[in-house]
Amino acid sequence: MWERVTEIVRKEFRQTLREPRMRGILIGPPLLQMIVFGFAVNLDVTQVRLGWMDLDRSVESQEIRQRFVSNRTFVITAEAGSEREAQDLLDRGTVQGVVRIAPGFGADARGSRQTEIQVLLDGANSNTAAIVGNYAAAVISTRNKELLMAQQTRKLVGRTQNGPILLRIPSVQPERRVWFNPELKSRNYFVPGIIVNIITLVTLMLTALSIVREKEIGTMEQIMVTPIRPIELMLGKTIPFAIIGFLQMNLVTLIALTIFRVPLNGSYFLLAGASCLFLLSTLGAGLFMSTISDTQQQAMMATFFFFQPAFMLSGFAFPLRNMPQVVQWVTYLNPLRYFMEIVRGVFLKGSGLDVLWSQMVMLGVFGVTILFLSAQRFHKRLD
Amino acid sequence: MKWRRFRAIFHKEALHIMRDWRSLMMALAVPLVLLLLFGYALTLDVDRILTVIYDQDQTPQSRELVERFRGSRYFQIVPGPANYRTIVKHIDDSSALLGIVIPNDFAHRVESAQEAKVQLLLDGSDSNTASIAVGYAEALILAHSAELREQMLQRRGQGKLKMPVDVRIRVLYNNELKSKNFIVPGLIAVILMIIAALLTSLTIAREWENGTMEQLLSTPVRPTELLLGKLAAYFVLGMADMVISLIVGVGIFGVPLRGSTLLLIVSSALFLFGALCWGILLSTITRSQLLAYQLSLLSSFLPAFLLSGFIYSIDNMPFVIQQFTRIVPARYFVAILQGVFMKGTGLEVLWMQMLFLVMYGALVFTIAVRKMRQKMA
Amino acid sequence: MQPHEQFAVVLEHLTKRFGEFTAVDDVSLRVGKGEIFGFLGPNGAGKSTAIRILCGLLAPTSGQAWVHGFDVAREPERVKQSIGYMSQRFSLYDDLTVEENLDFFSGIYGVPRERRPERKAYALKMAGLESELPTMARLLSGGWKQRLALGCAILHEPPIVFLDEPTSGVDPIARRQFWDLIYAMAEGGTTVFVTTHYMEEAEYCHRLSLMYKGRTIALGTPKELKAAFGEDATMDDVFIDSIEREEARTA
Repeated sequence: MWERVTEIVRKEFRQTLREPRMRGILIGPPLLQMIVFGFAVNLDVTQVRLGWMDLDRSVESQEIRQRFVSNRTFVITAEAGSEREAQDLLDRGTVQGVVRIAPGFGADARGSRQTEIQVLLDGANSNTAAIVGNYAAAVISTRNKELLMAQQTRKLVGRTQNGPILLRIPSVQPERRVWFNPELKSRNYFVPGIIVNIITLVTLMLTALSIVREKEIGTMEQIMVTPIRPIELMLGKTIPFAIIGFLQMNLVTLIALTIFRVPLNGSYFLLAGASCLFLLSTLGAGLFMSTISDTQQQAMMATFFFFQPAFMLSGFAFPLRNMPQVVQWVTYLNPLRYFMEIVRGVFLKGSGLDVLWSQMVMLGVFGVTILFLSAQRFHKRLD
Repeated sequence: MKWRRFRAIFHKEALHIMRDWRSLMMALAVPLVLLLLFGYALTLDVDRILTVIYDQDQTPQSRELVERFRGSRYFQIVPGPANYRTIVKHIDDSSALLGIVIPNDFAHRVESAQEAKVQLLLDGSDSNTASIAVGYAEALILAHSAELREQMLQRRGQGKLKMPVDVRIRVLYNNELKSKNFIVPGLIAVILMIIAALLTSLTIAREWENGTMEQLLSTPVRPTELLLGKLAAYFVLGMADMVISLIVGVGIFGVPLRGSTLLLIVSSALFLFGALCWGILLSTITRSQLLAYQLSLLSSFLPAFLLSGFIYSIDNMPFVIQQFTRIVPARYFVAILQGVFMKGTGLEVLWMQMLFLVMYGALVFTIAVRKMRQKMA
Repeated sequence: MQPHEQFAVVLEHLTKRFGEFTAVDDVSLRVGKGEIFGFLGPNGAGKSTAIRILCGLLAPTSGQAWVHGFDVAREPERVKQSIGYMSQRFSLYDDLTVEENLDFFSGIYGVPRERRPERKAYALKMAGLESELPTMARLLSGGWKQRLALGCAILHEPPIVFLDEPTSGVDPIARRQFWDLIYAMAEGGTTVFVTTHYMEEAEYCHRLSLMYKGRTIALGTPKELKAAFGEDATMDDVFIDSIEREEARTA
């Protein structure tokens, strides 16, 4: 039996590497995803374009401006002289926020009266807005503290009989310590996830395509009149792509480590083991896809569109945690979700089996189930 | 150009579309699924952040701070014992994103008007959520800090002293900071791209593969008639989809539409036209459905999805890629969509993007006609 | 009167090269109005290429051709309005019904509104598909498809009809019935230009030309051709002998 399987495996490798379409799938998507998610997509807010509307033009307002500028996050790219100009800047998207200082600001500050600064944010991209808002608030808060201290000193010096009191002011200072991705690079978040995407796409599509191609050109019939048994055909058709998928996983990992410098804090073997379990699911799905498609084109479209939701609901780009509860329950049926957690856990958190055992189990369960059911269906179709 | 021949082609294409379940699925099911996903399921909003609070101090002052976190919609406190070990465990197994440690000298320091530090321990793996979460936490702590100062000043009889500078933050356009408000409008661009590029990329290649193209070529039909006839059928489909998306987005998901609906429809029509011509162009030059499909996926759908600014803002992309997005038509359309929906801006702000769409449409149409003439000659 | 005004189809030194390969090599012939003219030859002989040129689908490399008095290279549009073409794969739209296919081609060929119902009825009757109006084209068997395709090609009453291997893959009875249709058309004054590789169909043509490797190696009525090869010669003999002679000549 194994000779026959080996024959098929060998044939598959040859065909896959020869056909430009298949080769394309092997190289294209991984490359594309890595370029896009490794380089292009960047959720980090590093440079905020700010508009400055200073209607006061006092020493004090200049101070505030100085504070913003010296914070490397903000870049003042435009000045506004009026409400309309400010609105226009925001409407056009020229700036992401406008700091607005009303006339009388300096006078109020000098006279120790409370005054205010307005920060208008472009809420269009809500996450950027949240980050920008928090940054701006922090800058002003720091300034506040300084001003308050100065005020105190001015007001109180000489008040007591015992001499000037350096008034201390209570302040609560947050101190952040970031674990696992200390620079908070979104690249570290995305790139490990690419492994999941790539393995899924490649193994799924190639498995489905290779089987459907035989159906299309008629060689499937040819094969069926030989002494081959369905199980051998299945093995022959899935083993090559399991190997390819595994190799791709390694390739992407290598690139992630070297070019993108994503840390691999956990065990490679855990990653490899999880990949193998995950492959069971994707290969099974590929088998299934091949039973519902008659032409290669159908297979491509079916895999692509059928799996878009699976990709979206895997936690790759959109955190699962914030989805509506119902949707979260649905994601429990998605093997990609578990593999994504494992991959991110292994790369960034250095998590081991003790933390990830439940995901591994789920992967195993799903893998075996999907593969088994698909194999049944495949078997039936052949007879 | 003969109206009659155009009509015959249009009628035939319409029949094809309605009878091909694959096309229909792409035209109706996929947009609906996408709308459902992005309008309902997928969100980039950050709230109810799972937080563990380890209060080492256990004083009224520390509890005051804890209450602030508890009362905030952004934080969801994880129940159970809290200490360093549990924080580590929760963060490791992702049952918490944030650990807050209030040191045991917190109240003492606050009372004696010194600086008290509060530790924020953060799971950085999801950097985006983490950045926002820590931002909210820091903001909350700073606000508490400011309040403490005020209280102290009040108590010391310097009640007149207030915080020197009060910050008023106003969020324009999307003051609830709902991510779906900016994603769903941009989604329209993606949906139209699917119809336009993917469906049309198959149409001419399919005629070549079936042999019916040759038949058509032997008839008096002209390249322009063929192009426009096919285009018209998909145009109707695309605009129908756009209207559906609009109704679902605004009516069901409550995405605000503040600008001119007319501008929306006109820009959609322009964009659709250009995208359709591109799809037909690909179909004409490749003659193979599979190849046309892959090319259109690569050149239309993916850029529209990833590089148009629909979810991932172009601002943060590396310079080279930012420049590349200049030739992605979806970028301009998404800018118009987000402007019209959220900002309520009009032509005076968006004219440049409209101009680009017009130019793009004209250019691709010309090339498509020329290529078709070449292939038909 | 110029030959191309007198004759339905005229080819003069028509040549078509694809790079190094010469598909049609210096072919000259004339087909009269109402004639059934056959282009015979093995696969790859250049028959389909020649027909494509005559339909305005390909441009000749050199030489000239006129169809219904119009130069195929200079006025392909007017040629297309005067011909009906049935391609080798009887290209119908599989996912359209019989009626929808007819309506489509009616629109494409610009059949005048008043004439549409009449022509449609005629095509249906001719094809025997009156009761199959709502049937999907892909559900029709080979013979029916063939006749529907012919029907679609003549809706606009073209004076000349080009049929490229119209009977390939069709059973012998359907083939015979099809040729009955062709005869009926010719009797009605339509010129029919047919290609085929079935030798027995050669007998049905008024005149025919044998093509081999792009050249015309024999031209005449079936009777004339057979006579040149001796008593009891069949078209097969004519064919094989001609080819052998050609091979010998060019060796």
